[in-house]
Amino acid sequence: MKRYLETGNFAVAQAAIMAGCRAFAGYPITPATEIAESMSRLLPRVGGYYVQAEDETAAMHMAIGAALGGMKAMTATSGPGFILYADPYGWAIGCEIPLVVLNSQRVGPVSGITGAPGQGEFYLSRYVTQGGNFETIVLAPNTAQEAFQLTIEAFYLSERFRTPVTILADQLITDGWEDISIPETEQEKQAMGLRFAERRVNPGPIFYPPTDEIDIPPVVMGKNTGALCSDWTPTEEGYDIETVEAQHKHAYRLIYKIRNHRDIFSRYETLFLDDNPDIIVVAYGTPSRVVKTAVKQARQLGKKIGMIRPITLWPFPDELFQKKAIYLTVELNYDGQMVREVRRTVPCESAVHFLGKCGELPTVAELQETFDRLLEGKPLERRGWETEAW
Amino acid sequence: MDYLSTKYLRSRKIPSTACSGCGLGQCHKALVKAIDEVGFGINDIIWGTSIGCAGRQTYATWKGDSFAGTHGRVYAIARGLRLALPPEKKLVLSVGDGDAFGIGFNHLLHAVRTNTQMTVMVCDNLGYQSTGGQYGWTTPEGVVTDSSPYGMFEPNWVQSGRDVLAILREAGATFLARHVSMDGAVLVGTLKKALQNNGFSLVHVVYPCTTNFANTALGTRKPVTIFKWIKDRSAPLGKEKEDTLWRTGVYHDASNSRPEFSQLMREKVAEIHGRHEREGTD
Repeated sequence: MKRYLETGNFAVAQAAIMAGCRAFAGYPITPATEIAESMSRLLPRVGGYYVQAEDETAAMHMAIGAALGGMKAMTATSGPGFILYADPYGWAIGCEIPLVVLNSQRVGPVSGITGAPGQGEFYLSRYVTQGGNFETIVLAPNTAQEAFQLTIEAFYLSERFRTPVTILADQLITDGWEDISIPETEQEKQAMGLRFAERRVNPGPIFYPPTDEIDIPPVVMGKNTGALCSDWTPTEEGYDIETVEAQHKHAYRLIYKIRNHRDIFSRYETLFLDDNPDIIVVAYGTPSRVVKTAVKQARQLGKKIGMIRPITLWPFPDELFQKKAIYLTVELNYDGQMVREVRRTVPCESAVHFLGKCGELPTVAELQETFDRLLEGKPLERRGWETEAW
Repeated sequence: MDYLSTKYLRSRKIPSTACSGCGLGQCHKALVKAIDEVGFGINDIIWGTSIGCAGRQTYATWKGDSFAGTHGRVYAIARGLRLALPPEKKLVLSVGDGDAFGIGFNHLLHAVRTNTQMTVMVCDNLGYQSTGGQYGWTTPEGVVTDSSPYGMFEPNWVQSGRDVLAILREAGATFLARHVSMDGAVLVGTLKKALQNNGFSLVHVVYPCTTNFANTALGTRKPVTIFKWIKDRSAPLGKEKEDTLWRTGVYHDASNSRPEFSQLMREKVAEIHGRHEREGTD
C-alpha cells in the first residue's frame, strides 16, 4: 500500500490507470482540470492516450470513439461541461458503450462560482440526456479515498452493464488534499474491495438482444464482427428501425438491465438507524462528512438522530427510507433536489425538511441548531427568502 | 444491384430507402467503386455516417463495421476511434452538408487540424432535405426553400471568397476535392486518391434531391430537371463559365505530406512510454 497526501483529482487519475483506462479526452474546466492534467502526464507512460478536445461535446464523443474501438476510456468535467455531455451521453447509453464520466460539481447555474462546491446536478446526472427510456448509474464519493475506489468500481460497472457510469463528485472532493492509500498488490486490492472487468468484444450478429441480462459484451469496431451502432432505435442486429416494437425491446433493456441488477452495485452508509431515531439526516458527497460529525455529536448530547448517505445515487435507493421519522436532507444547493426523492420515498406520514447551502458547507453548530428546532417542532430557520417548505 | 453491392453491401439495406430519383446512390456507388478499385476489403474499412439523408441512407449498408454518430459529432467520434483502431484499418465517413458545414463544422476543423485519417464524403443536397427542405450552408443564392420563401439571400459556403474548401485547406487538410454526383468515373478517380491519403481527405459532392429541393426550388420533382440543373451549373476547374456554381476536380492534394494524428500519437506515446520504462519518472 502506498500512502499519499494528495487531491481527489490525483486519486481519480491513479484509479483510472489502475482500472485499465488507456484513453482520456478532456477539456479544461475548474475544478476537474487537474484530472486531465494528471492523465496527460500518466497515460503516455503506460502506453495510453490523452487528447484535449475543442469542447466538452467533442471530449465525450472522442472518449466514446476510443471506447467504441475497444479501449477503456474516461472523461471528466464540471457542470458547464456536463451539460454539453448530454448529446454524447445519450449516444453512449443508446449504443451501450462502456465509459466513465466524472462530474465535479461546482456552483451554478452556468459558470456560477467556479472554485466552490455545489450539488446542482443531482437530477441532471439521472436525466442526463433527452428522450427518456433509459436508466443511469451514478456513484457519489465523499472522500478522495472513496473517489479512488468508486472510479475503479465505475470502470467495472461500465463494462458489465455496457453503459456510461457517472461519478458525481464535488469541488471539495476533487480539489481537496487528503490521506489516500493506493493498493499495490492483488491482496491489497481485494482487501479494499476493488473489482475489475476486462473489455470484451461482442461477436455479433445479435448486438442488442431483447433482455435485461448484463455481461453482454459491447459493440467494438475494428474486430471484423460486422458491428453496428447508431443513434436510431436498433433492431437486435443494430439496423436502424422506426417501430414501437423495436423501441420497446430497446427501452426494456436500457432500463431493466440496470434496475434488475441493482444488488450488484447498491452502496450506502447508514448511522444510528437501529433505535428508531427521531430525525434521519440524508446527505451525499462532501456535506455528508459534516453531517456525520454533527450526528455523532448529537448522539453524545442525547439526541436520537440517525443518518443515511446514499453512495449509489441513481437508481435512487428507495429501500433505505422505510423508517418513520423526521427527515432532514442537507444539500449544496438552494433549490432542493435530492430532498424531492426523499419526500417521494419516505413513509407518507413522515415530515421532510431541507437545509440548503451552496459554495460552502453547513457547520456542525448550524446542524445542531437545526436538529433542535426540528425536535422542538419549530419551523426551520430561513434567511428570509426561503419561504417554501423546502 | 450489381457486383459491387453483392461484394460490399448488406442486402437488407439495398436498395436504400432514399426517395425515387435521389442522387445519393450515385455518390454511394462512386465511393464503393473507389474502395473496390483501391483494393480494400470489407474488414479494411470502418464506415461512419451521421444524421440526415446522407447519414440515414448509407448507415449499415457497408457489410463490415458501421456506425452512425450524433448530428455533427461524427468527426470527434472518429478522432477517438482512430486512436483505438489498428493503423491499417481506414475510416470512411459519408455525411451531409448540414452535418459537415453546419452543426459539425467546429469538429470537422479540428479533425482537419490534426490531420486525422478519415475519408469524408460530404453528400450535399443543398440544404436540409430530410426535414422537408430548409436552406443550408451551400444552398445557392436566390433559391426558394421552405425556410427561404423569398429566395436564399444569406451568403453561403461555396461562393467565391468564402469557399469552404479554402477554409479547410488553410486549416491543414491534406486532400480536398469537389464534384457533382454525375461526374461518374472522374468522381471515382478522385475518391480513390482521397482514400489513399493517410490523413484527412474531404470530397464535397453535390447531388440532386428531387423530392424537396427540386420541388420547391424548380417547381418539379422530375429527376431529369434537377439533374440537368446541377450539371449545367458545374464545370471542371479551369473550364468554368460565368454561371458556374460548382467547379469540379481536385482542389488540393498534399496526400501523405504530414503526420497523421493517430500515427503521431502512437509514436509520441511509444517514445514517452519507452523512456519511462527505461529511466522511470515520477
